[in-house]
Amino acid sequence: MSGLVEFFADPANWSGSTGIPMRVWYHLMYSLIALGIALVIAVPLGIYVGHTGRGEASVAGIANSLRALPTLGLLIVVVMLAAPLFSSSLVFTAPAILVLVLLAVPPILTGTYTGIQSADRSAVDAARGMGYKPSQVLLHVQLPCALPLIISGIRGAMLQIVSTATVAAYVSLNGLGRYIIDGRANSDFGQMAAGAALVALVALALELAFLLIGRLVVSPGLRRSVRRTRMPGAVEPAA
Amino acid sequence: MIVFDHVSKTYPDGTMAVEDLSFTAPNGKITVLVGPSGCGKTTSMRMINRLIDPTSGTITLDGQPTAGIDKVELRRKIGYVIQNAGLFPHRTVVDNVAALPRLLGERKQDARDRARQLLNLVGLDESFARKYPWQLSGGQQQRVGVARALATDPPFLLMDEPFSAVDPIVRAQLQDEFLKLQETIGKTIVMVTHDIDEALILGDQIAVLRQGGRLAQIASPEELLRAPADRFVADFVGTSRGYRSLGFIHADEQLTVRHTPAAPLGSSAAALPPGSDGWLVAVDEQARPLGWIHRERIGEVVTAEAVDHAGSIAAEDAPLRDLLDAALSSPSGDGIVAGADGGYLGTVGTSDIVAAIQRSKRGRARPADEEAGDRA
Repeated sequence: MSGLVEFFADPANWSGSTGIPMRVWYHLMYSLIALGIALVIAVPLGIYVGHTGRGEASVAGIANSLRALPTLGLLIVVVMLAAPLFSSSLVFTAPAILVLVLLAVPPILTGTYTGIQSADRSAVDAARGMGYKPSQVLLHVQLPCALPLIISGIRGAMLQIVSTATVAAYVSLNGLGRYIIDGRANSDFGQMAAGAALVALVALALELAFLLIGRLVVSPGLRRSVRRTRMPGAVEPAA
Repeated sequence: MIVFDHVSKTYPDGTMAVEDLSFTAPNGKITVLVGPSGCGKTTSMRMINRLIDPTSGTITLDGQPTAGIDKVELRRKIGYVIQNAGLFPHRTVVDNVAALPRLLGERKQDARDRARQLLNLVGLDESFARKYPWQLSGGQQQRVGVARALATDPPFLLMDEPFSAVDPIVRAQLQDEFLKLQETIGKTIVMVTHDIDEALILGDQIAVLRQGGRLAQIASPEELLRAPADRFVADFVGTSRGYRSLGFIHADEQLTVRHTPAAPLGSSAAALPPGSDGWLVAVDEQARPLGWIHRERIGEVVTAEAVDHAGSIAAEDAPLRDLLDAALSSPSGDGIVAGADGGYLGTVGTSDIVAAIQRSKRGRARPADEEAGDRA
């Protein structure tokens, strides 16, 4: 415990390329890059599968088997396979990000297509019957109704990425995992504990951020929360 | 006018959902498709706005074959109301109603103003406008569904079991209000229901479909009750069709209305006349009938608590069924009749009503014979 306090109290740990701000920054950057790539792949694919119902079985199968892969093993295999393809520092970074993307795709994909499929069926039927074009049904009914599940899929993916990015320090990825790996190597338990605490804090902060995003983009009609009157006792303006 | 001309629908597996269906849904009228489950009534309705395409035959809308109209364009001319309303859960009530006009490019404020008027028309006040569907009861959601279907003022309206998902009391109320609404909007409506009672209440004409989507009979409610085409229709219409057919017959001028004395609330018992077997009709301050009241149950003055509510009250212009029901449910044996203004008019005896029924049967027998003669 004293080691942990000492670590945080040491000014040397708050600056430079091995300092806490820099490592948090790297950790977040890798995580967000991986999440961004995963979103670009999984969301359109999920929308396609959910809207058309095509390829559902194969997509679900692939997503589930990806989930079953052991993180560390995958990481090492990909680095070994990919190492000859890259030069310089990308040798470790690119494969690590690839692994993070592979792990983030399934939850986002599943969240998106199940979200779209489980959008209120009678609402979708009503929209079609009223003369909404298929693209309008998707944009105005299916997607807004799918948002809670899509966001929860992205949230799951984000947490997966942040925790796995820690493990990726094993293959020399910069980030908060370094404190744990390096601390272990030097038997510096204070540093290890500090690394773990920082990862937990980052994860918590991101969790909060997603909670906030959910509040902003998901309709209160789906959250089933009662909208508070802006001014108590105020009379609604006449139509 | 919606015309079905030899329309059939066969699914790839060979199932015949609708077979050679021909009928006309006249302008401004409610045509009800009714039948047991699996009779193809919903399939038939969904072929009108081409949610399902017919295998053969043509459906025309005011003379224009629907096959030649773009699906989206076609659907925008036809309002669509479904069971459970199918409201958009992520939109407020007012935005549900304004959704299609907004999609078609109407200004937000204009669309919402009109949506509020429509909500008013279906009996939902301003306080509902900003609620979300989940905050509404089933009946309220269905009202919003009707308002939404009317948002672009389409000439046609399709309704798929619109009042099935609500409890019987709310259903009766919605049906009643819907008929009043139709009097003002005069849409050409095709409605699907499995409930023959609903069909008899709402339909200007009723198409009874049998298994396999074949038309068993198309007729007015009155004719369906009086002259079912075959055993299937007779069974489907049900056992009490004789009694229900009285819902379409009105009393003639010969029906005697007795002047049973009224007992206004608050009047003193001593001042009241003896009444018929001690029974009087309790009326309120505006002289509207409240129910029967017996002299023995009145204390010093006439109070609302002493009124017997068993007997129903029939309106003066109500069909014979309502008059008969008022008499049959009455503790005194006579039915209370109220005038058009709601004021107490008098009472009618069971035997007088039965006599009126017999007169109407005799009166109707002749035109039916003539019809038969014309056909021969």
